[in-house]
Amino acid sequence: MKKKLLSLMLVGAMATSMVACGSSETASTDTTTDAAATTEEGAAAADVQSADENTLTVYAWDENFNIPALQAAEKDYQDVNPDFKLEIITQSQSSDVENAITLAAEAGDYSTLPDIVLFQDHYFQQYVTNYPDAWQDANDANCDWAGLGAEKLSYSTVDGKHYGFPVDAGTAIFAYRTDLLEQCGYTIDDVTGITWDKFDEIGKKVYAETGKYLLCMDGDGNDLFYMMLQEEGVSQFKDGKPYITENETLVSVFNTLVTLAQDNVLYLANDWSDYTDQAIQGDMVAGVFNGNWIIPTIKKVDSNKGKWAITTAPTLTGKEGYASNGGSSLYITANCTKADLAKDFLAYTFGGRSAEDGQSTTYDDALLNGGVIGTCAAAANSDVYQQGVEYFNNQAIYADIVEYTQHVPTVEQSDYHYQARTALATALINVLQNGYTADQALEEAETNLKFEMGL
Amino acid sequence: MTLANKQLAAGWLFLTPATILIFIMSFYPIIQAFITSFKTGKGVNIQFANPLTYNYSRMLQDVIFKTSMKNTFLYLIVEVPIMLILAILLAQLLNNKDLKFKGLFRTAIFLPCATSLVSYSLIFKSMFATQGLINTVLMNLGLIHENINFLGTASTARAVIIIALIWRWTGYNMVFYLAGLQNIEYSVYEAAKIDGANGWKTFWNITVPLLKPTIVMTAIMSINGTLQLFDESVNLTSGGPANQTITMSHYIYNQAFGQGVGNFGYTSAMSFVVFIMVAILAFINLKVGDTRD
Repeated sequence: MKKKLLSLMLVGAMATSMVACGSSETASTDTTTDAAATTEEGAAAADVQSADENTLTVYAWDENFNIPALQAAEKDYQDVNPDFKLEIITQSQSSDVENAITLAAEAGDYSTLPDIVLFQDHYFQQYVTNYPDAWQDANDANCDWAGLGAEKLSYSTVDGKHYGFPVDAGTAIFAYRTDLLEQCGYTIDDVTGITWDKFDEIGKKVYAETGKYLLCMDGDGNDLFYMMLQEEGVSQFKDGKPYITENETLVSVFNTLVTLAQDNVLYLANDWSDYTDQAIQGDMVAGVFNGNWIIPTIKKVDSNKGKWAITTAPTLTGKEGYASNGGSSLYITANCTKADLAKDFLAYTFGGRSAEDGQSTTYDDALLNGGVIGTCAAAANSDVYQQGVEYFNNQAIYADIVEYTQHVPTVEQSDYHYQARTALATALINVLQNGYTADQALEEAETNLKFEMGL
Repeated sequence: MTLANKQLAAGWLFLTPATILIFIMSFYPIIQAFITSFKTGKGVNIQFANPLTYNYSRMLQDVIFKTSMKNTFLYLIVEVPIMLILAILLAQLLNNKDLKFKGLFRTAIFLPCATSLVSYSLIFKSMFATQGLINTVLMNLGLIHENINFLGTASTARAVIIIALIWRWTGYNMVFYLAGLQNIEYSVYEAAKIDGANGWKTFWNITVPLLKPTIVMTAIMSINGTLQLFDESVNLTSGGPANQTITMSHYIYNQAFGQGVGNFGYTSAMSFVVFIMVAILAFINLKVGDTRD
């Protein structure tokens, strides 16, 4: 009898919880702009499209960075189209979006995709080559492409067709802890426009005096090679082939990194979360060199307010170094039935039409709320970009970054960017831990990369 | 129709839906994957390779696949024996009739395997981080002078994975042994006692032989599980440093979804190789464990 009663109660509990689920689903459709609610919706059913003809859906992945930018764009576009709504479906990381495209394309069923996706630039070209049907081009969008930055558009333009609207510039910054530098008798000017050798010398002193590393990177996804080479105007690829062992600049960069790591100047974190959580936010380092999208990560530590400053990177020759890394753009998927609305929305906001008078809600709010630095030339003239940032000791870092953007050299890109990155990261670890010589390690990296590319 | 025929027809009728479902859901994908393993190319450009065995011969030259295989077998050789021996010893201890709070101990040891694979990996990761719990404790005890980068060095990273695996799976295997031990008549032990056998002898000559079927089963399951090891490699070490801890499944995943558009032909081929390895090892195990000779 007891058992019967118990099972009855269980069934009852299940029934109530199901009813509760049902009602929460209907409730969440009312609050379409609420990011949290829409995530739930996206996870529960593949309801990625809205029937309402003024609503667009979009995948994005960073609550602190690109999602505030999209919310700013929605607000901006409502000025010209008051009924417009943007449903942001939060993904946990950028690879979720890549997987969504892969799965939809492999299944031949694009109905699981939202209207627009935020997509990593380095990956886009191979996704167009391999899944051409997954995208709609935006060539006939009403926007001034020339104002969006040539280096940035080189990622999202395939065979002369524009596919994407840039969200953030990937321009690299070198951020230093000025308080720690001062402790060792240096200022920010002492680390600007120096050679990597000089950097090593300063770094050794910083480690000896403060126990902090002057540079850090994710050891597995090591972006340093790409950025340090770009500063010199050199790529890891030449005519579509790996350019490693015969690339003198690359060999110098490689040897520099080996020395930096051996001298305790460079800390190699185990993976990305170790890099952001332990190295940067755990106060293990006095310097960070990466795309400017790393700023929100740095700013998360309130106690370091006013202690950071940014400048350009060292180079092999001692001139000031400019590089770019990462960044993403917005792309319209094959599943979007409201392509005209999507193009108009993107052209108006991120395409820079609303910024033509030098003031844009999209870019200004994206910067204020998420720290997203756009590539749109017209938007960079706004007052918001010229303001000092309290966290960085009132340095006008955004204006500085826009300035850096102008100097970034364009280098040869490849579909195998990430494979090259992994191969070189492995080579570095092999020298540091497994007793390889630099030549052996680089040769193996080149062989592996060629193998990966099927050459 | 005779009654026998009717019964036969009814039997088939009941079997049909399940059979059809198994074919569609399990066998069809397996066959599809096998066909895919002969194809090469990415995305919509995928086509049959020339020669057909291209993906399989490619594997023989793939340095990272070989590394992943070495790593996986290292985990297998080190972890499985330690774990099974620990499990059997714990089971023996907890099977003691005079032990108090038996239920509590059993639950405590079984509990790790109720946690999710991802969450326990992440907890181990934070414990073994450069500024994590283990380093802090060792520092405060004065055993080390500088934080050790456990997950950033190949040998220690592998050790952490093995420790994590033992923590997670020992309790799981112990439960099987406990069940096996319950099936051994207590009178057998009493008889051994009367014959003057000590504890160690009883363990080797009674417990282990009578547990043989359970040992074979747990060994096959552990080997199977270790060859398909994925979560620990992905979540604890991300396969690093320099692919020194990557497992076969992790490499297969990386090739399919890790770095942009995946080479599904190649990954299918690798999956089939793992499948064959599991089959061969299970077969050897069954032969070794077979008592009918």
